[in-house]
Amino acid sequence: MANRALPQSKEALLKSYRTRLKDDVKSMLENFEEIIKLAKGEHDTQLSRLTQCEQDTYEMHVRSANIVRAGESLMKLVSDIKQYLILNDFPSVNEAITQNSKLFRTKQSECDQKLMSLRDDMAADLYDLEEEYYSSINK
Amino acid sequence: MSFNTVNISVEAPIENQIQEITYEGVEIYQPPLTLSESLAKYAQKIDFSKTSEADIKKEEALEEAKSDSDSKDAFQSSLWPWDSVRNKLRNAHQEVCVLADVLNVAKDKRYMVLDPVQQEPLETKPMVQIYARKKALGGAANVLLAGAEKLKTSQNEAARNRTTPDFHIELLRLRQNWRLKKVSNTIIGDLSYRTAGSKYLQTGTFEVTKAEEDDKPGTPPSSPLPTSGGAQPTKPSSALKVAIPSELQGVAYIEVLCQKDQEDLCSANINLLGSGAPSSNPDMHWQQKLEAAQNVLFCKELFNQLAKEAVQLQAPIPHMVVGNQIMATVLPGIQLIIALRHSTSADKKSDKQPSPSKSEHDHVLEHSLHQLLREVHHKNTHHPFPHPATGPLGPSKKRMMAGPMAADRHELLEMTKQETLLEQIVKQAQHFIMRMRTEYVLDTIAKEFKDPLISSHWNTLNSPTQSCVKINISTHGYDAVCRTPLVIHVGEKSLKCICRDGKVMNMSYEPQELRDLIFCHINQHQILAVQALAKTMGWQSLGNSNHLGSGPVEPLGNAASCLLASPTGDRIIAIRCEPQASGMQVSVAHSPRTDFFPSRLVTERKWEHLGGQFRDVRLDKMEGRNFLHKMELLMASLTSNS
Repeated sequence: MANRALPQSKEALLKSYRTRLKDDVKSMLENFEEIIKLAKGEHDTQLSRLTQCEQDTYEMHVRSANIVRAGESLMKLVSDIKQYLILNDFPSVNEAITQNSKLFRTKQSECDQKLMSLRDDMAADLYDLEEEYYSSINK
Repeated sequence: MSFNTVNISVEAPIENQIQEITYEGVEIYQPPLTLSESLAKYAQKIDFSKTSEADIKKEEALEEAKSDSDSKDAFQSSLWPWDSVRNKLRNAHQEVCVLADVLNVAKDKRYMVLDPVQQEPLETKPMVQIYARKKALGGAANVLLAGAEKLKTSQNEAARNRTTPDFHIELLRLRQNWRLKKVSNTIIGDLSYRTAGSKYLQTGTFEVTKAEEDDKPGTPPSSPLPTSGGAQPTKPSSALKVAIPSELQGVAYIEVLCQKDQEDLCSANINLLGSGAPSSNPDMHWQQKLEAAQNVLFCKELFNQLAKEAVQLQAPIPHMVVGNQIMATVLPGIQLIIALRHSTSADKKSDKQPSPSKSEHDHVLEHSLHQLLREVHHKNTHHPFPHPATGPLGPSKKRMMAGPMAADRHELLEMTKQETLLEQIVKQAQHFIMRMRTEYVLDTIAKEFKDPLISSHWNTLNSPTQSCVKINISTHGYDAVCRTPLVIHVGEKSLKCICRDGKVMNMSYEPQELRDLIFCHINQHQILAVQALAKTMGWQSLGNSNHLGSGPVEPLGNAASCLLASPTGDRIIAIRCEPQASGMQVSVAHSPRTDFFPSRLVTERKWEHLGGQFRDVRLDKMEGRNFLHKMELLMASLTSNS
């Protein structure tokens, strides 16, 4: 992919995918680390212990929700990349087109063949019929 | 500084400062400061770091004195140097206001209460803290588990519903068949024939969306919005949804009718999807839906092109374009009607019926109209290769040769002419009608005439505007004796008949002319056949004439005749053949009569050799299957008698 000169916007898009991936993974890791740090609970503050506990609980919830969000964002990223690949994978599209055209060509030749054989059959039948007609009594 | 009592007035010097002294010694003075300039100069000297009241007061007094003396406009113009002053004053004002607000809030005790800070922290047991932390961790874990569960169920769901393919697989299939691109967040597809060489302006874009899983099964099938007509209300069979613009929805086809004075001769329906129109119900598969939309687009382009040409073309009888219908005169009294029928899903049923299911459903006209536009498309994309590889792309090979071959203006003009679609289809329709007429004439004649058999063989290979029929006129049982072959080329507006003797006859589109020609040839055939038969029987042909000058005047052509003599020469048969239906007249003469009675005029028997009276033969009373058979019998009987 790198050896081909991609347009600017495509390059930017790919870069954004990469950054999204890194960001999400990083956010998962960081949030997890933070939760662990909170669980240790060794930090002195001016707040009262009770308030501190509440705050920690709240923070943990938010951080775990962040992890979940990052996970879903990764799923979305996967889907986006799939979409991007499908829409921009021109070699495979070309392959599909050649395959289709080949298919239609064979279909065409098949039809032609059938028509020709039909014509031949009809000609043979017509020959017989004419023979029959012209040698019949009522002409 | 201790001379308090003595006031020293400080004045500016009367003379201005010298700016420059020129070489002649002329002194150029600096212009004196204007009032505003001097004000600005003074204002810049104010030092706000001075805090002593006396200083400020002194300065303020100074300023006031200055500003009072200033005129109004001078103050306006000196806004710049005053800016720093103003800013500093405003900042100070703001701070004072905020302080006042805080004091107010604290004093009112309605919004905020200031409490003294508790000095010694509340004693909490470490166990409580641990429990709290455990609980917090448990909550976080629950959130994570719920999230994971959600992802897992969605995956399982997809795995279980293998019957409904994945959105991406569907998208891949769609991509393999249609052009798609992504514009910001939406996927836009294109179903126009632009890439195939079409230059039609209307765009055929459609939008691809993901079908929602949670579509309510109870939604009414007829959605009011035209663009959401593609919504699949009940159990989406595909994970993909395409939205087609409303003008491309429904079913369209082009109807081609050949009309003869309000009576249909033939009709053809162009419908790329075949006559069985696809039901445009909303839960159609996207492939069919897109194909239908593309068909609509194609029909529209075709009709548009035809209508444009119909208006531009200058035909002897002008073409008419009314609404969705083009009327062109093909042959006198026969019109070609091309109509665009576009039915949206709503009125499909009612629209489908009135199209008359005529006996003549010509697929050839249908196909050729289709083919013509395709050809135009093909030409738009497939240019002939430029001969020097660096030459311009576009001009045809013939035109490339025009320079070296020194083509004149007329030739070049001829090159630029190209037939429009309408002209071509009109020609094809003309040929179609000509062919039909010829067929009809030949068939009716073959039906009418049993005596010489007329068999026609149509060539199986022909072009849309030219076909060829070979006609054999022969008599049953005597095919080997004589047969008259004819070849008729059926063109667009004329017929060309190549006769047995190599004569070429050109005829117009009137069927009567062909009919007359065939009649003439039937007569000729009879005369020639009789002569050929006579030769095999040993009779002599005394003479024949294809264009007999005697007898009553024929309405068409001339009567043909021949005279045959028996081997011994004593009997003569005269045959006269008229192109009219009355047909043949056969007469027999016995030259020496078997019995001779001398009369006053004819005294001797030898005079009987000069030939006698002709007596008519009543052919209809004779034995024999056909004319030649009868003649054979007649000749045989006359020969044996002698």
